[in-house]
Amino acid sequence: MNIIVAIKQVPDLVEGLEIDSSGKDLDREWLKFKLNEFDDHALEEALVLKEETGATVTAIALNADGIDKILFTAAAKGADRIISVTGDFGDVVSSHEAASALASVISQLDHDIVMTGVQAVDDRDGQLAVLLAHHLKMPHVSVVTGVKVNGSSATITKEYGGGMVAEFEAELPVVLGIQAASQTPRYVPVAKVRQIMRSASIEEIAAGGDSAGAGSSVSRFFKPESGGGAQMIEGSAADQAGKIVELLKEKGIK
Amino acid sequence: MNETREIYRNFPFLMQIAFYVIAFATIGFFVYGFYLRIRKYKKGRDAGRMNNVLGRFMKAAAIMGKNSTVFKRDAYAGAAHWMIFWGFVFLLIGTAIVALDHDFLRLLGYHLLEGDFYLVFSFVLDIFGVLFLIGLLMMMFRRAKKLPKLDYTRNDLKPEQYNRKGYSTDDKIFLWLLFLIGLTGFFIEGLRISADNMPAFEMWSPVGWVIASSINSVGLAESANSLHVYSWWFHAVMVMFFIAYIPYSKAMHMLVDYANLMFKDDMAAKKLPKVAEEMLDAGMGYKKVEDFTWKELLDFDSCTKCGRCHDVCPARNAGTALSPRDLILDLRTYVDSSIGSPEWFKQEFVNGKNDSKEIAGGVISKDVLWSCTTCMACVEVCPVGIEHLTSIVNLRRSLVDEGNMEDMLQDTLMNIGDYGNSFGQSERNRAAWTKELDFKIKDVRKEEAEYLWFVGDYASYDQRIQGLSRHVAKILNKIGVDYGIMYEGEKNSGNDVRRVGEEGLYEMLVEDNLAVMQKSKFKKIFSTDPHSYNTIKNEYPEFGGDFEIEHYTGLLLRLVKEGKIKFTKKLNYKVTYHDPCYLGRYNGEVDAPRELLTMMGIELIDMPRCKENSFCCGAGGGRIWMDDSKVQERPSEIRIREALTLGEEVTHFVVACPKDYAMFTDAVKTSGNEGKMEVKDIIQLVEEAMGE
Repeated sequence: MNIIVAIKQVPDLVEGLEIDSSGKDLDREWLKFKLNEFDDHALEEALVLKEETGATVTAIALNADGIDKILFTAAAKGADRIISVTGDFGDVVSSHEAASALASVISQLDHDIVMTGVQAVDDRDGQLAVLLAHHLKMPHVSVVTGVKVNGSSATITKEYGGGMVAEFEAELPVVLGIQAASQTPRYVPVAKVRQIMRSASIEEIAAGGDSAGAGSSVSRFFKPESGGGAQMIEGSAADQAGKIVELLKEKGIK
Repeated sequence: MNETREIYRNFPFLMQIAFYVIAFATIGFFVYGFYLRIRKYKKGRDAGRMNNVLGRFMKAAAIMGKNSTVFKRDAYAGAAHWMIFWGFVFLLIGTAIVALDHDFLRLLGYHLLEGDFYLVFSFVLDIFGVLFLIGLLMMMFRRAKKLPKLDYTRNDLKPEQYNRKGYSTDDKIFLWLLFLIGLTGFFIEGLRISADNMPAFEMWSPVGWVIASSINSVGLAESANSLHVYSWWFHAVMVMFFIAYIPYSKAMHMLVDYANLMFKDDMAAKKLPKVAEEMLDAGMGYKKVEDFTWKELLDFDSCTKCGRCHDVCPARNAGTALSPRDLILDLRTYVDSSIGSPEWFKQEFVNGKNDSKEIAGGVISKDVLWSCTTCMACVEVCPVGIEHLTSIVNLRRSLVDEGNMEDMLQDTLMNIGDYGNSFGQSERNRAAWTKELDFKIKDVRKEEAEYLWFVGDYASYDQRIQGLSRHVAKILNKIGVDYGIMYEGEKNSGNDVRRVGEEGLYEMLVEDNLAVMQKSKFKKIFSTDPHSYNTIKNEYPEFGGDFEIEHYTGLLLRLVKEGKIKFTKKLNYKVTYHDPCYLGRYNGEVDAPRELLTMMGIELIDMPRCKENSFCCGAGGGRIWMDDSKVQERPSEIRIREALTLGEEVTHFVVACPKDYAMFTDAVKTSGNEGKMEVKDIIQLVEEAMGE
């Protein structure tokens, strides 16, 4: 069985985010990138399946500054192949562009399950898995929290709102948008990553396909603006408590 | 009359032959057991301890001669052991002289044991024989007191899951056998003197003489001759049994522990070993028996179960699964069941603990390994040179290698890997604590300074400690000390990362820190963090970082002595001082903080456990990054209660370590003692005494 995991890097939210002068993107000068957390879960779920079934796991990502370290880390965790998709990508790659580029490469590879994180902090559209399924003409389930493979089909657990969970049966191949792996993504010791960096190599495959535009573009990037209606109460804890009580009385709450 | 005694007195020739046959069989037994031990140690990896063998031998001899490690903090056991040790040594030498005289020199026509030499010989042996028996009696008395540290009950298993009766049997055999051998020795002497009709020169054997007189006075003089033969054989059979028993029992400690003390590394635990080249392919931790070095295999066999480590261990006191004694004994049992051992008296497990394929996480449970605070109290207190911590860290390394750790620790390690600090905050905020200062601290990456201040994670990021860092900065600034920091160039020093077992991350941190340090311009380093201080002082040199470093208490003291810091206000406090593990125990720095306090006019009252014997706050070795809900009683709270026993007039609990400040301010509250004692960093008192 072959599992392909599409991963990407996203801005690290630990660093303070600034908006650049165009007002349409983050100021990228000081940005630090890390693996998208949901993709980390997708990779973990793939590795769990590898341990259960002996599947081959391939981690694939669009080429970007710093992606090598992320791919090597995936290899250190247990990915058998690591692929960097090369092409003319801008700083911001929309899910449409990414899906098209990734699908053009994935379609050349043996694949039974294609996984990716259900969403990412930098696009928040949750479309990559859907679009991949479209390009690859495969069934799709998103917000997945568990996968069990039984021969040529898979039992997939999907999380709904309100604490409901559903189980799906899908014939392979299938595309999955992973919400959470069945266990905490594993820790990989630094020594292993460093060793892999010396011994493993990243395969580079050029993206094909048409560069479908996103269909939408960012017109303004801004920090949440306060809408008024909030009143800041200053003073010592006792003062604040007193003012709160007064306000509550004023509003008729007894 | 010729002063001597007859060897094999009244023995028929065949009886003498019988004795030699038994003796040779016994020696064979001994040699075989000894060979089995050596064979075991030869299966270990190279320990790199074969340098300066003569120096090591002499050093161990000095320790043994004085029994200094046994005396340390236990004068009673020390005195008893000293008497048994020297009694045994003299009786052994005495017996060897008899053998030399009778079996070799006699055949060449010489005779040593006669005249004055015989008299002195008799006298000395009698005296040491008495010491030997007194020592053994003291030990028997001590055992009867049922000391907690001599209790073999385990913290981590239920009573039905293991059986340690073998250990107590061995203890009894060892003690009683020696005692009976000593006692019967004196009886033989008395019977012989009586049978020889009390020759006056035998008064040089005072004990024998008294026994002989007693034998005569109860009217046994007539049977002394035949009783002598019987008791001689009784004594001889016990001695033979003892010799044969040595390599198969705890008696082996007489030989193994000499070797272990000889090959002990003074830097053990303070400077951890790198992952051995030959092991790198298989990952970084110990996974199989052959991964242990021969010194570690020797460690496991050296344990005499004295329980001192069990007694001092903060993890054990906190009620966790770890007891350093049990860890070492479990490793011994495991090694023995894997590669064979001559041990007769073993512990047995009912639940198959020893059948596990994994050493880390199986034979030695995860709980046991992660409970260690790496405070080094076990290594420091061990009288026989066992280096528990090295084994613990090597086993932790294999857990880390498999990612086998709790989420909180995993997150912390990832934070340190990503941001260089355990708080998961931006690297760029490392020096954010300096923003509130009304002066700018030099950036040693750009400007030259006399001192580089290695601040450390807690003092940089923890809001409770940042204020203390500013106090240090202000004082040094005020008196004109030329110092700087590395700003965001500084990363976690790695001391505790290494002790967690994440060696790769440790090496990365060292490389990153060294890269900045080596480009920066400074003469010396000081650190407010004892953990950073330890690794920079003891471990960075192996990676090419050779710097002079001191702890800030040492720097402050020097500044006071040079007159740069002036204490204008006498502080009329009674305080106690908590020695940080990494300062006091690891690096022997116990005087500077005390001297500083005294110079402020403060009366220092030490807790029962202080200096090298300080009791860990429970934060070290990565414990501060782990869940402590399995702990029954937090070490920090135990410590606060210990401080409170000093009495109400002791108002301050003084610390000199950022982690200690965080741990103990919490512990005062969580133990319900808020208001009874105030936790102060020594810098706060310095500031107060300066009249600030």
